[in-house]
Amino acid sequence: MKEGLFSRAMLWLVFLFLLGPFVIVFLAGFSAGETLVFPPSSYSVRWIIEVLGSEEFQRAFRTSLEIGLLATVIALLLGVPVAYAMSRMPPPGMGAIKQILTSPLIIPAMLVGLGLLRHVVLLVDAPVFLGLLVGHIGLLTPYAVRVVYASLINLRVDIEEAAITLGASRAQTFFLIVLPNIRSAVIAAFFLAFVTSFNQVPVSLFLTGPGISTLPIEMLGHMENSFDPSIAALSTLLVLFTMAFVLATEKLLGISKYM
Amino acid sequence: MVAHDKKRLGILLVTPALIFTVVCFLLPVLALLVDAFRVGGPDSVDGAALHWGVDRFIAFFAEPLHRQVFLRTLRIAALVTLVSALLSYPAAQAIVRVSPRYRGMVLGMMILPLMVSPIARTYAWIVLFGRNGAINSVLLHLGLADEPQRLLFSEMAVFVGLLQLLLPLMLMSLVSSMENLSRDITLAASTLGANAWQVFTRVTLPLTQEGLIVGGTLVFTGCVTAYVTPALLGGPKVLMLETLLYQKVSVESDFGTANVIAVILVLMTLAVNAGLKRISSSRSSA
Repeated sequence: MKEGLFSRAMLWLVFLFLLGPFVIVFLAGFSAGETLVFPPSSYSVRWIIEVLGSEEFQRAFRTSLEIGLLATVIALLLGVPVAYAMSRMPPPGMGAIKQILTSPLIIPAMLVGLGLLRHVVLLVDAPVFLGLLVGHIGLLTPYAVRVVYASLINLRVDIEEAAITLGASRAQTFFLIVLPNIRSAVIAAFFLAFVTSFNQVPVSLFLTGPGISTLPIEMLGHMENSFDPSIAALSTLLVLFTMAFVLATEKLLGISKYM
Repeated sequence: MVAHDKKRLGILLVTPALIFTVVCFLLPVLALLVDAFRVGGPDSVDGAALHWGVDRFIAFFAEPLHRQVFLRTLRIAALVTLVSALLSYPAAQAIVRVSPRYRGMVLGMMILPLMVSPIARTYAWIVLFGRNGAINSVLLHLGLADEPQRLLFSEMAVFVGLLQLLLPLMLMSLVSSMENLSRDITLAASTLGANAWQVFTRVTLPLTQEGLIVGGTLVFTGCVTAYVTPALLGGPKVLMLETLLYQKVSVESDFGTANVIAVILVLMTLAVNAGLKRISSSRSSA
C-alpha cells in the first residue's frame, strides 16, 4: 500500500531526526583532540576519563542526585494523599484545588526560580540547597498527583469497601490494600519525577549559588568558558545512562503509558 | 464510614500539598507578576510617588530589541508547532500500525529523547552547526564554501533544536488519539471511494483534532518557555523571551524588565491553555 509506505518512511525520518544527534554526541564524546572538531581526527576515552575524574562534575552530580531523590520522595509524600483524596473522597472546592495544584505545570519554570529567589530565599536568607529543593518539590508534585491519580481511578473501590466492612481501618486499607495495587504507578511516578528533577534547568538557574550547583547548571557554566569535548563526553554518559534507564523501566512498568 | 468524616479526611489529605504549592510556588510567582505593575516609589529615577500602572509594559515594547524578541518567540513557536504536526501525522499513523511485537521498542524510541538531558540533546546541534562542525566540514570538503559558515547562533539553529526537543510531545499526543480511532473507519472511507488525501482531511484529521490541539499546546508553550535550546543555539544574538529574561536578571540586574517579561510569559501560556480548553469543550458539547 502506497500510503503505508509513505508514513513508514516518515517514521524512519522522524526517528533519524530524534535519535541521530545522539550518535553525533557519542562520536564527539570519544574524540581525542583538545577542542571540539567534527568529525574527530582520532578517538579515545580521554575525555570520558577526564569528566569522570573532575571534582566539579562529581560534586554537581552528587547535588543533582540528592536534590532529585529528596524532592521526588517529598513530592510523592505530598502528592499521593492528594491523588487518593481526589479519587475517593473529593473535598469541597475540588475544581479550584486541582487548578492550584496543577499550576506548576502551566507556569514557566524559570519564573518559579526567580520568584523563590527574590521573594523567599533572599528574604529569609535560606540556604541555597533548601531553596533548590523547594523549587524542585513544587515542580514534581503535580507529576506525582497525575500519575498516581490515573492509576487510582482504574482501581475498583469495592475491594477497599470490603476491607472496611471486614473491620480494617482507613489507614490499614490504604497501606495493605490500595498501596500494593498502585505500586507500579508509584514507581513510575518516582522515575518520571526523578528524571524531571535531574534534567531540570530553568528552576535551578536562579537557585544555585556559590559552591552548590546541579549537574546541568555546572555543564552550562563549563560551556561558557571552554570548547573542549568534555561536555560531549559527559552528554555521552548521560545518554547511555538514560537509555539503560528507559529500557529497564519500559520493560518493567511500560512507563510510556504514564507519560 | 460516615460521609462527614470522609469529607474531613479528604480535606486533611490535600492540605499539606495545597499549603506547600501556595506558599512556595504560587505566592512567589504572583509577587513577581504584581511587581511588574508597581511603578515609582523611593528608588525610582524621576522620584514619582509609588503607584500602579502599565508604564513598564509601555517602556518594554517601546524598545525595538524587545519587540523583535517578542515577535521572534511567537514566530519560532508557531513554526515549530506547525512543522512538528506535519511530521508527526504520518509518523504517528505508522506507529499505530506497528505490530505489537515491536510496539514497546518503538514507544521506547519515542520517549527516550524526552528523558535525556536537554543539554545533551542540544549539544549535538552545536557539534553539527559549529565552526568546525560536521556541516561546515562537508561544505568545505565539497567546495560549496570557501570558509566556515556561521550556522550556530541563528534562528535556524534554534528552530531545529526546538523541533527536535519538542516533536516527541506532538508525536505522543497524536499516537494516543489515533489509537482510539478505529482502523475500520478509515478503511470504510477508502472502500467507499475516498482517496488517501480525502481520508486524511475528512476522517483522520477531524477525529484526531483533540490530540493535535493537546500536542500543539505542549509544543507551543514548550517553545515559549524553553531556556537551554535558545541559550545554547541562539546565544545573545538570537534572544527569545526566556533568554532575554535571564540576561535582564543576571547581566543587567534589571528586575523591573524581568517582571514585565514574567507577566508576558504567563499571559502567553495561560492564553494558549485557555484556548485549548475552549476548543476541546466546544468540541465535546457539539
